[in-house]
Amino acid sequence: MALQSTVVGSYPKPPEEGGSFALRKTLQAWQRGEVGEAELAGARRDLAREIIAEQEAAGIDLVTDGHVWWDDILTPFAGNMAGFEIGGLLRWFDNNVYYRRPVCVDEIEWRGPSSIEAWRFAQSVAGGPVKAVIPGPVTFARLSVDEHYGDHGRFVEAIASVLAQEAFELEAAGARFIQIDEPALLGAPEDLELAKRAIGQASGQLEAATTILCTYFGDAKRLGAELFELPVDSFGLDFVAGPDNRELIASLPAGLGLQAGVVDARNTRLETTDEVAATIDDLASGVGADNLTVSPSAGLEFLPRDKAKAKLERLAQAAARVQG
Amino acid sequence: MTPVDLPGPGLWTTSVGSLPKPDYISSGRSRRARGEIDKAELVELERRATREWIEFQDSIGTDVLVDGEQYRGDMVAFFAEALPGLELGGLVRSYGIRYYRKPIATGAVGRDDAVTVEWWQYAQSLTNKPVKGMLTGPYTICDWSFNEHYASRRDFVLDLAKVIRDEALELERAGCRFIQIDEPAASTRMDELDLVIEGMEVVTEPLGAHTITHICYGDFHRAYPKMLDIPVDQIDLEFANSDFSLLDDFAANPFTKYIGLGISDAHSHDVEPVEGLAHGIRRSLEYLLPERTFVDPDCGLKTRSVDEAKGKLSNIAKAVEIVRGEL
Ligand SMILES: [Zn+2]
Repeated sequence: MALQSTVVGSYPKPPEEGGSFALRKTLQAWQRGEVGEAELAGARRDLAREIIAEQEAAGIDLVTDGHVWWDDILTPFAGNMAGFEIGGLLRWFDNNVYYRRPVCVDEIEWRGPSSIEAWRFAQSVAGGPVKAVIPGPVTFARLSVDEHYGDHGRFVEAIASVLAQEAFELEAAGARFIQIDEPALLGAPEDLELAKRAIGQASGQLEAATTILCTYFGDAKRLGAELFELPVDSFGLDFVAGPDNRELIASLPAGLGLQAGVVDARNTRLETTDEVAATIDDLASGVGADNLTVSPSAGLEFLPRDKAKAKLERLAQAAARVQG
Repeated sequence: MTPVDLPGPGLWTTSVGSLPKPDYISSGRSRRARGEIDKAELVELERRATREWIEFQDSIGTDVLVDGEQYRGDMVAFFAEALPGLELGGLVRSYGIRYYRKPIATGAVGRDDAVTVEWWQYAQSLTNKPVKGMLTGPYTICDWSFNEHYASRRDFVLDLAKVIRDEALELERAGCRFIQIDEPAASTRMDELDLVIEGMEVVTEPLGAHTITHICYGDFHRAYPKMLDIPVDQIDLEFANSDFSLLDDFAANPFTKYIGLGISDAHSHDVEPVEGLAHGIRRSLEYLLPERTFVDPDCGLKTRSVDEAKGKLSNIAKAVEIVRGEL
């Protein structure tokens, strides 16, 4: 397969300057009880359709639903599992962005799919495959409070079994690319063994889907080459916040994929196409263009809409140029 | 170190900074956005709200007052709008349906006119008690902005530090004796605490006023005791929100500065009862000196309702009164 381009997940929801922010208006009306669930769902679908078209027009091969249904990556899953309550707002890593901390108060159980409906809709309006994104079990556990299990390993495994079920259902629904986000693993090398078992629960039962273990906001130096023993098909690494990842990929085993974050998803400065092409060229010479997918360094929701769009256009142009 | 010159045995009351805006401010802002009132009419509403908050703080016997920031939206955007080199960018999400215009450094940051002095002078003219000057720290402005100009975060922080220093000096010349330089972002990245310190050195070095910084939302246990190296006289911290767990750190490494002791949860709707607040102060005084302690809420109260904020501040004042009687 040739060099591909993708996004990491989230996409800015506000319109470009001067546009009407329909989803926010509908959400406010919904909170006041002026519109019902159906209208809210319609507003989300409209925005998802628009965002998918925007990614495709920019030239991105593998798109996502932009996380249009989500406020953060944990709440939609925690809110749908037995055993969790949703807690207060906390800072999302080192960003001026927040997430709600899940609090585990009882035995965790699967209660049905959390992300399938959104994925199905996105796939129905996209021209190519839509990547599904789920949180990884280690990140999920580390960003939650455990008031029930009292043992980190058991807590991670309980979360992993529900997320494995989600991945299974996503594949059954037709998802061909399933990304598992594990940013917290970068700072928790002691969880690597646990992560191998926990992620294996999900990937072990998948047959056709390509799995991507995605990290961002830093380098994987502390995990070292052992990262690549995690049972997935491809690894997402952030080369903007983690320039040292450049050395690490020398140990990427043959046959495994690299999803490389090469444009800064957290700063508005626009990289030139030349600049991006040079980075991609360098990575392609290391791992081979056929094993390489390029992306922004993280979800694009840290940026205003116009900047996110411009960055994707340049990313796709640079990838096309390297592909030649 | 600039000691405080206030009457009494210590255990003074204050606020962190922001206070809720009454409904007439939000409706005034919408009317201004629709062009129904002019700038001067909106400012008049902001002055009225400032006056009401000063009167309220005086009525409950607050020792060091704040102006309540009725004229500010966001603590970073307020400075970004006023400083050359910074501009407001497009909308970025903070959480849920809350979005803000994140500033962008597009050139070297400078300063034309005073940003906060006029409001400080107005608030101070309404009371005999000292009113704090309120600035956002260079590290936090850098951390909460995009950077399209500077080669490094350090360059960005140090330029901002000179600008904030000049603003602080101008407040001081106007007569301000308590200057707070907020660094809520300071506990986000442990590996940059040295940069927080370096920036703050530039700001506070020439100042004779009592200097304060407020830090929140972070991993205090890792930042302590290193945070004591931040060159200010007082550090204001949240205790209610973390069930006073920092006191364990103080047991191991004594707190060496003046402290702003946050004893009421700024993000909860509950108005905590007086006795519970007094208990929090007593627990803390096992590790802290009353003559080095200011008592306040955990954080700015702008997200509370006016009644909740008044209830919290009144109960803090009553709790302090009780514990002062026991000294
Ligand atoms: Zn605060």
